[in-house]
Amino acid sequence: MTQTAASPHRPDDTFTGLPIGEADLTEAHALYRGMSIVRSVELEIEKMHRLGRMSGSFHSSLGQEAAAVGVCAALREGDMVTSTHRGHGHALAKGVTMEGVFAELFGRTSGVSGGRGGSMHLHDRRSGFLGENAIVAGGLPWAAGAAWARRRRGGDDIAVAFIGDGGFAQGVTHETLLLARFWESPCLIVCENNGLAHSMPSDRLFGAPGGIARIAEGTGIHARYVDGRDVVAVARTAKEMVARVRAGVPAFLECGVYRVRPHSLSDPDYRYRPKTAGRDWLALNDPMANLRARLEAFPGNRVAQIDAAVAADVQAALARAEAAGRPPAAAAKSYVYTSPELQNHA
Amino acid sequence: MREVKYAEAVRGALEDEMAADETVVVMGEEVGALGGVFTVTQGLLERFGEDRVLDSPISEAGVVGFAIGAAAEGMRPVVEIMFSDFVLLALDQIINLGAKIRYMSNGQFSVPLTIRMPGGGGTNHGPQHSQSLESLFAHVPGLVVAMPSNPSDAYWMLRHAIRSDDPVIFLESKNLYFRTSGDIDARTGPDGFGASVVRAGDDITIVSAGRMVERSLQAADRLAAEGVGCEVIDLRYLWPLDTASIEASLRRTGKLAVVYEAVEFCGWGGEVAAWAGEHCFESLDGPVVRVGTERVPIPYGHALEDEIVPTAERIAGELRGLAAY
Repeated sequence: MTQTAASPHRPDDTFTGLPIGEADLTEAHALYRGMSIVRSVELEIEKMHRLGRMSGSFHSSLGQEAAAVGVCAALREGDMVTSTHRGHGHALAKGVTMEGVFAELFGRTSGVSGGRGGSMHLHDRRSGFLGENAIVAGGLPWAAGAAWARRRRGGDDIAVAFIGDGGFAQGVTHETLLLARFWESPCLIVCENNGLAHSMPSDRLFGAPGGIARIAEGTGIHARYVDGRDVVAVARTAKEMVARVRAGVPAFLECGVYRVRPHSLSDPDYRYRPKTAGRDWLALNDPMANLRARLEAFPGNRVAQIDAAVAADVQAALARAEAAGRPPAAAAKSYVYTSPELQNHA
Repeated sequence: MREVKYAEAVRGALEDEMAADETVVVMGEEVGALGGVFTVTQGLLERFGEDRVLDSPISEAGVVGFAIGAAAEGMRPVVEIMFSDFVLLALDQIINLGAKIRYMSNGQFSVPLTIRMPGGGGTNHGPQHSQSLESLFAHVPGLVVAMPSNPSDAYWMLRHAIRSDDPVIFLESKNLYFRTSGDIDARTGPDGFGASVVRAGDDITIVSAGRMVERSLQAADRLAAEGVGCEVIDLRYLWPLDTASIEASLRRTGKLAVVYEAVEFCGWGGEVAAWAGEHCFESLDGPVVRVGTERVPIPYGHALEDEIVPTAERIAGELRGLAAY
């Protein structure tokens, strides 16, 4: 388990991330593109809410993109992911289309969950994104059980369960850590320690970043900590851990990130942290800016082209999603049961 | 088939489904080496091995969640909860996930999961081991609630549950495990979700389920001696609720009593009563009577328990009043 002296929860103008060389450029560009997609989609969702074109709740992962993108870069298409209420980044990083996400948030039939799940219930089995779960840490045993089932049935796919530092306080998290080890489930639990469980600072419960991994390690599971301000470091650590998990044992990765935005759109976060906390952090620690700076040192870098292409893709996906049809009234009652007899009775 | 006890019938269903389908696995506390605290899983470990009979840590939420995840990926897990009271630890996983994955995902997932648990009183286990929690589950969309009252139903309904592509809450009666024996009737396979009329009568319809079917029949015997014919319907499933059977009987008898072990207030019997009031108003010749457990915890001693859980005597008393109405 590695430890960092600096906390990713505080603004830090000395943090630069791992150096990258010519040989890393393909991977680094792909990681940059992944983060650009998550960032752009989530900024667009915020805008849609401000304009009143989307409704309900929204939990932004702005600033945390490196965790989702770095971890999912280590996965194959057949691997599975469960996520949290703050899961748009995980979904997009796992290959869910922007249009599928936007359409879901617009409540359209073409949304990944048919327009009846919404922001906290994105599910896309085809891309291996089993789903978000709006109950804190609720998706963790789902991932462990799914990975176990897949392994028993002969595959070598694995599952990743994303949780937050808040989720690490839940009983079911610790139950699943033990169960996954006991029943040899090939799952990787990724705890995004973003410094705040809603208003509760994570260091009050777990100490400095890295403390969560130490507790997990105490259950006998291989655990590591990685600084989530550097997507390259996350991707390399995740790759090593995914290889270990694919061999048939669970593992745990704590990823130090920071929640730039309030808990949700309606959260008055100024009541528990300085008004400028998110902005100040982003100005110095933004994982996208971090990687961009390293890429821009190479004359042939494609940062600008990637940003432009992603921006165009986002606008096109947004337009298609919003123009799509809404589900018919009958859809409100479909898929309660699998058995036709029971569904008809429902 | 030879006469078997209720617990043996449950075991037989597990054994037969495990033999028929290798995706069927049994998970739970003490289900392996011990064979279950009520002996239900005895012999399964020896026959099917550790890969399919999985002793779990004491982690109801984790185990149920794990089983949900496995079910959504094609397994057919059967989880044993040692006492139904302990399922409360796993309610988040059952209600927020297992019952809803299919709906939330717009049909992308199914959860072919069975959660077995012995419930109810009659065994002197005290307030945290004797509750009848079936009404909680009947309230939740996405679940099936099965409640067999006899060995034959325990066998066939469990086989049906394991084959079901939807999550089934399977409530066994620990009081009946060793006390009740019967033949497994010779069906060719699991039947549907309908109720069964276990006693015919023309004067009062009694709707019951689980262990209270036995007491309803005892009360019906007493009323028969007094010249009142009671028809007893064993619902078998609280959801789906076989309202057609209730209606057909009520059209003949005109009087309805609902006898159940769950707490009477806000219990499933109230649902049956309300349904009858809404849909069979013209058939009713008297007030619908609920005979459920009083709204207090289940005490340890038999004598105290019988003060609050419906007894044949109390049921008969209520039936007499209804007959005289």
